[in-house]
Amino acid sequence: MNQTTVGVIGAGRIGRMHTENLVHHIPEAVVKAVASPHLDEGWAEGLGIPIRSTDNSAVFGDPEIEAVVIAAPSGLHSELIQQAAAAGKHVFCEKPVGFEDGPIEDAIAAAQAAGVQLQVGFNRRSDPSLLDLVEAVRDGHIGDVHTVRVTNRDPKAPPIDFVKRSGGIFLDFLIHDFDTIRYLSGSEIVEVYAAGGVLIDPEIGAAGDIDTAMVTARLANGALAVIDASRQAVYGYDQRFEVFGSNGSVAVDNTTPSRRVVSTTAGVVGRTPHDGFVSRYHDAFIAELRAFLAAVRGDSPVVAGADDALAAVRAAVAARESFNQNRPIQLADTVPVYGGGTEA
Amino acid sequence: MKTITVGVLGAGRIGRLHTENLFRMSGVRVKSIADPYADFDAWPPPGIETGVDPSLVLDDPEIQAVLICSPTPTHADFTEAAATAGKHVFCEKPIDLDPERIRCTLEVVDAAGVRLQVGFNRRFDPTFSRVRQAVIDGDVGDIHIVKITSRDPEAPPVEYVQSSGGIFLDMTIHDFDMVRFLTGSEVEEVHAMGAVLIDPAIGEAGDVDTAVTTLKMANGALAVIENSRQAVYGYDQRVEVFGSKGSAEAGNETANRVILSSADGVRADTPLYFFLERYQASFVAELEAFFACIRDDLEPPVGGRDGLMSVLVGLAAAKSMAENRPVKVEAS
Repeated sequence: MNQTTVGVIGAGRIGRMHTENLVHHIPEAVVKAVASPHLDEGWAEGLGIPIRSTDNSAVFGDPEIEAVVIAAPSGLHSELIQQAAAAGKHVFCEKPVGFEDGPIEDAIAAAQAAGVQLQVGFNRRSDPSLLDLVEAVRDGHIGDVHTVRVTNRDPKAPPIDFVKRSGGIFLDFLIHDFDTIRYLSGSEIVEVYAAGGVLIDPEIGAAGDIDTAMVTARLANGALAVIDASRQAVYGYDQRFEVFGSNGSVAVDNTTPSRRVVSTTAGVVGRTPHDGFVSRYHDAFIAELRAFLAAVRGDSPVVAGADDALAAVRAAVAARESFNQNRPIQLADTVPVYGGGTEA
Repeated sequence: MKTITVGVLGAGRIGRLHTENLFRMSGVRVKSIADPYADFDAWPPPGIETGVDPSLVLDDPEIQAVLICSPTPTHADFTEAAATAGKHVFCEKPIDLDPERIRCTLEVVDAAGVRLQVGFNRRFDPTFSRVRQAVIDGDVGDIHIVKITSRDPEAPPVEYVQSSGGIFLDMTIHDFDMVRFLTGSEVEEVHAMGAVLIDPAIGEAGDVDTAVTTLKMANGALAVIENSRQAVYGYDQRVEVFGSKGSAEAGNETANRVILSSADGVRADTPLYFFLERYQASFVAELEAFFACIRDDLEPPVGGRDGLMSVLVGLAAAKSMAENRPVKVEAS
């Protein structure tokens, strides 16, 4: 098999997950190096990764490494993409690429100038259920799209120090939902209205963020979309999707780790949904990296590209402004100019 | 149980439905029905007085309670006339489309000392009542999000749309009341986004057929209502209340629970077709509650203020869509 040599930047929760997936589940990749300022040496050694460093140059400076996975804090993404591109390496980067247009455009320009692939970690685009849902929409089973609905609730509110550097709920959390709306509808977001509140943890409010949000969006094809998001659903990771149209609707419900149902006089009790994104999107996280590696080999396009990164961030920024100003915000009519198309 | 003598104004679809339900109810006797346009040849059965003039009901001293099932523009007049005549009133929603007029009517009702219940039947649906009970029992904790899906099976004729008062006052009004019912909290601010995606004629009539409405509640919760005038698979009526301890969710109801599995897929029957089928039980339960309140001299569970609030929220939603901005709800 033609293996691609990969380096990983960032070994927090998501960085470790990607690394483990590459090592255990993706035979077409070889992880040569991992760099993170807080690297757990034992963890990396256990995975058999030969180069383990607290310095990113261990990855960027290694000529053998063809592709890097960037899973560092969001605020560093754009700069790291530019460094990787300058070193001639293909880039898979976690979302969001940046908190505003400028750094994202810089990252995109750097990747284009270097002629490297850039894929963004919109993992839901690689989820088998959502791929199947999109197929039903594209095949015309539900006719013209009228409404798109996304329920996105995390099982547990993140630590406050994470909230502070996350870029806020719209850029950190709902960014997935903005991308999902574009992906499911095949259309662009042109207007957003966001309502929100601090209903779970006052500390999140004190950090200048909110923990509950509801966003209404209007799409270029005339359809409407709605996102309801919460940082904490005590029963688990609540991920539901529905596209409704002129000929019917198509939906994806929560998945559970087990299908067990216990029926007693007290009631009928099934399992709660998955306890987080790692287990819910396990297959999607592997599939998105395999798709990235296929793009690196030149076999197929990336599943979520630069234009998708930019469009989702623009919607998220508009939603944040809508919430701050308590009014609907029109997005610029111009769609991202960086090619690649959004149609699946 | 002491029998309550009832008169009905309006013998259209909903008037007949209520009257038929009354026939099967103990402790209630339907004495008369008035409707200027009805053809009483085939209905009602013998023994019920019928006429074209509402005075048949309103001026009859024997009648203790009146069901107002006539067209919306007559609701306020009939409610006031019945109340002034000392009769308890069950009035279909909305009491009126003008809040000032509703306030006047409520003053008349108060002065007359009679009971008034408004026909928000969905509060009496066994499924949605159970969701409310879960909220009351604390099963969902503090409420954070309420989500209502409300889609009709087919778009109404354009002539109906033209006189309906618009989607928010005609259709979403039930959902506004449901959010108030489920949360036990008031709507403070509304944002509505609408579109014409089903029938261009609805757009030409100045209305929309698809809408997403966001409500900010006094208790801090957020609510979202998704409406469509046409879901081809049937009447789509779902609610969800999400909070600090979990969520309570009600899906669609079907005539049966059969699952047909074949090589092509796993199939269930579509939801019950429309409100007459889906909310059958609630139409009986709301009237039973009304008569129980009369007998026990209690305030009805859905009163005049509820009728007023849902109209105020509906007007705020219409204004929000027209002006494309969030709108505060006027105080009752």
